[in-house]
Amino acid sequence: MSTENLRVVGRGIPKVDALELVTGRAKFAGDLKFPGMLYGYARRAGIPAGKIRSIDCSAALGLPGVSAVLTSEDIPGPNIIGILPPFDQPVLASQVVRYEGESLALAVADSREAAKRAAAAVRVTIDPLEPILDIDTALKPDSRRIHPDGNITFSKKLIKGDVEKGFAAAEVVVENTYHTSFQEHAYLEPETVVAVPGGDGRVTVYASCQSPFHIRGHIAANLNLPASRVKVVQAYTGGSFGGKDDVATEIGCLAAVAAVKLQKPVMIAHERGESIIGSNLRHAARIHYRTAGLKDGTILARQAKIYLDGGAYASESPFVTMKALIHAAGPYHVPNVLVECTAVYTNKTYSGAFRGFGVPQVTFASESQLDELAAELNMDPLQLRRNNGLQAGQATATGQVFEKSVGLLQTIDRIAERREQIPAAAPGEERWLYGRGYSCLFQGISNGAEGIDVVGASVQVSQDGSVLVGVGLTDMGQGSRTVFAQIAAEVLGVTVDRITVRQVDTDSVHDSGPTVASRSTTVGGMAVYKAAGEVKASLVKMASLMLKCGEEQVRLEENFAVLTDNPEVRIPLPEVATAAYWTGFPLMHLTFSRAPDAQFDHETHQGNIYIAYNFGTHLMDLRIDRLTGRVEVLRHLAAHDVGRAVNPLGVEGQVEGGALIGFGMAHLERIEHEGGCIQNANFSDYGVPSIKDRLPTETIIVEDHNPTGPYGAKGVGEPPVAGTAAVFANAVAAATGVRFTRLPIRREDILAALEEQ
Amino acid sequence: MLLEFELNGKQTRIEAEPTLRALDLIRDVLGLTGTKEGCGRGECGACTILVDGQPVNSCLLYAAKLQGRSVTTIEGLTTEDGSKELHPLQQAFVSEGAMQCGFCTPGMILSAKSLLDRNPDPDREAIEEALSGNLCRCTGYGKIVKAVQRAAAGGGGGAAADQPGGSG
Repeated sequence: MSTENLRVVGRGIPKVDALELVTGRAKFAGDLKFPGMLYGYARRAGIPAGKIRSIDCSAALGLPGVSAVLTSEDIPGPNIIGILPPFDQPVLASQVVRYEGESLALAVADSREAAKRAAAAVRVTIDPLEPILDIDTALKPDSRRIHPDGNITFSKKLIKGDVEKGFAAAEVVVENTYHTSFQEHAYLEPETVVAVPGGDGRVTVYASCQSPFHIRGHIAANLNLPASRVKVVQAYTGGSFGGKDDVATEIGCLAAVAAVKLQKPVMIAHERGESIIGSNLRHAARIHYRTAGLKDGTILARQAKIYLDGGAYASESPFVTMKALIHAAGPYHVPNVLVECTAVYTNKTYSGAFRGFGVPQVTFASESQLDELAAELNMDPLQLRRNNGLQAGQATATGQVFEKSVGLLQTIDRIAERREQIPAAAPGEERWLYGRGYSCLFQGISNGAEGIDVVGASVQVSQDGSVLVGVGLTDMGQGSRTVFAQIAAEVLGVTVDRITVRQVDTDSVHDSGPTVASRSTTVGGMAVYKAAGEVKASLVKMASLMLKCGEEQVRLEENFAVLTDNPEVRIPLPEVATAAYWTGFPLMHLTFSRAPDAQFDHETHQGNIYIAYNFGTHLMDLRIDRLTGRVEVLRHLAAHDVGRAVNPLGVEGQVEGGALIGFGMAHLERIEHEGGCIQNANFSDYGVPSIKDRLPTETIIVEDHNPTGPYGAKGVGEPPVAGTAAVFANAVAAATGVRFTRLPIRREDILAALEEQ
Repeated sequence: MLLEFELNGKQTRIEAEPTLRALDLIRDVLGLTGTKEGCGRGECGACTILVDGQPVNSCLLYAAKLQGRSVTTIEGLTTEDGSKELHPLQQAFVSEGAMQCGFCTPGMILSAKSLLDRNPDPDREAIEEALSGNLCRCTGYGKIVKAVQRAAAGGGGGAAADQPGGSG
């Protein structure tokens, strides 16, 4: 596709839904109202492990305003949800409690308060079991099995070359064990759904969610209805970051079952505590890592053994395992790699998708190793990274070779230029310790090893020349609707204000899989590009008839069909569209875009996994108060190869927002468990970064065009998280001389380490 | 009880339970859903409204406390001067890309409005202080600071953001 003379793609325009959002007119799921609407509230186990002896709803049913109390017996279908095999999570548990947030019953009443009172009045008898709370206990052969097949959720290896040979030839080896903690998504909008029974045997579920098709499938199964009877409409979604998938399925099923049973609309809106306890977290990880090198800094081999604490249910653990595995060796050319990654069950809130999807954890470990190697070799850490950095034509750890769009070295060089321009801050007084850190990262774009990657998109042009775009991937705030609008506008030569991008409605477009893996712009954008191209063909054909010229002489731009040879000769697009309609040319196209399939060996993970990688390099300067351990970040540069920035303003937003989530993971945020129960299930105690914690992130956009994305684009949603988490750890190490191997590195951890020195 | 207060410039009389939260009165009874509930504990600021010009977490306020007061919600910003124009803060949030999911945005804008009404030319610390009760998980806050500075500068050029310091 031509990337010359772009008019809309590449411009940093405001979000297409900005007006609705700043005026408060945007309707989130909790803002919807339907006549006779009831409210559901779940009774949860409250203890991490046990056998359910009885669930008695009689007292709850007698309370005022209560319509029903559902238990597992009320679910017509298999009472199972889950993102992947093994589908192992009950909608309502009836026999076993595997974590404290386990839902046992759903009270439905005429107000949220009445439902909550009724849920509390459900009498539950549970015989407690000794909870399994850590990875090592879970893996002991004689430990109680949390699920019938044991406590290993998923375990895989990546094998490239001969890692033992690599270590045998080593002149220097660094080795360490790293830990990361559970992290909460903390989107501002708690999970909410409304199920509305139709008069036509169908049920519509409006959901704050990430993957509507996935929800549809589970709701249909649990209602024992054909999927065609269920419609899921994504409401405006107040953030998700990976977190509104499993849980939206759970409450979507519950609300739908209640709505169909009672033939009334039912809303379930989580409270904040439920949102933290009753929906997935980022996996806590333990990573043993060693790296072999030569004295000149050449990396010969890398070996990592990764354990992920997956909590009570599989959720996305299998795919997070694979993603951690594939990314563990980092964006480097390493001839010998061995990675083993295992996710285990424990009796805690389950872990699943969270922006980065296993990559932030392994990037922290891998990039710490790079710095430890640089220190061992007395080398400039950025130069060490550059010497080993992946280039076009070189193989990744999976043996995949990209001939194009491997912009890692460009991001390193942009950072290197900037560090020459801005010297590291000089110590002004004794009190402050100054440090500069670097990190490099990559993040696979597309579903890749996780399976087929297809997206549906529809584009229709009305007779007035306006355009309606539908895509099967959701905008949760990241701005994909704006990117899709820009791509459609570019293809069709219309201005963005003439384009409307619908929220996802499962009736209207192909099942496009989940909105994950930084794939919306790349794969979704390609679908819009194709669909718009088909409609454009009708408009160009019509215009050529009207202008009495060849189709190649027609250009669509700024809501006109223009004669290329003489741009003064032009017809307003509405006239062309109207004529096309009356001539019988199709003005709507529904298409299906399929990314190149992954092809790899499932034992070794050698092969072609992703359609592209986003590459990045970060620099962070910070200073630490010796007396208090307080950290001030003075500078944060984040260079990312995005192929092409369809919307630079949106790219900056993704980088800045992702960076603060990475910073939270590295410095501020930690889920605290005691006896398997989360102790800080609220914003204040958990420590979501506030405006006072913000980073001075400066986004540096590198564009190494990606042949598999629209106009060369690659996604950027996830990568900044890993880069920031890793760069913070390295900057703290540079400032203090202490290598912290556990995230978060909190102020008190730093102070304790300084006092020990 | 009969509540009488000024809501977005209009005198409002409504019968309500005195123990109702102001948030529920505004959202459920009056139907103004621009005010959001993020935590129900006064920790996130998504439910911020202005009461006599001061930002208040409406999830912590009894509806009865609105008696005789002047209340502004996000819906009041576009109409307060009788026009349908965006408030300069809203315009600045749009131009700077200061929102992603938008769930925190109404509360954020109202806290910022209260600041600019009191202090038309706030420095970075004043902006951070005024917005420290409003959490945002999407943007990283940088563009929000820029938007407030832009609105303070008259909605025109937009002052460059000062260097912040991430801290813990």
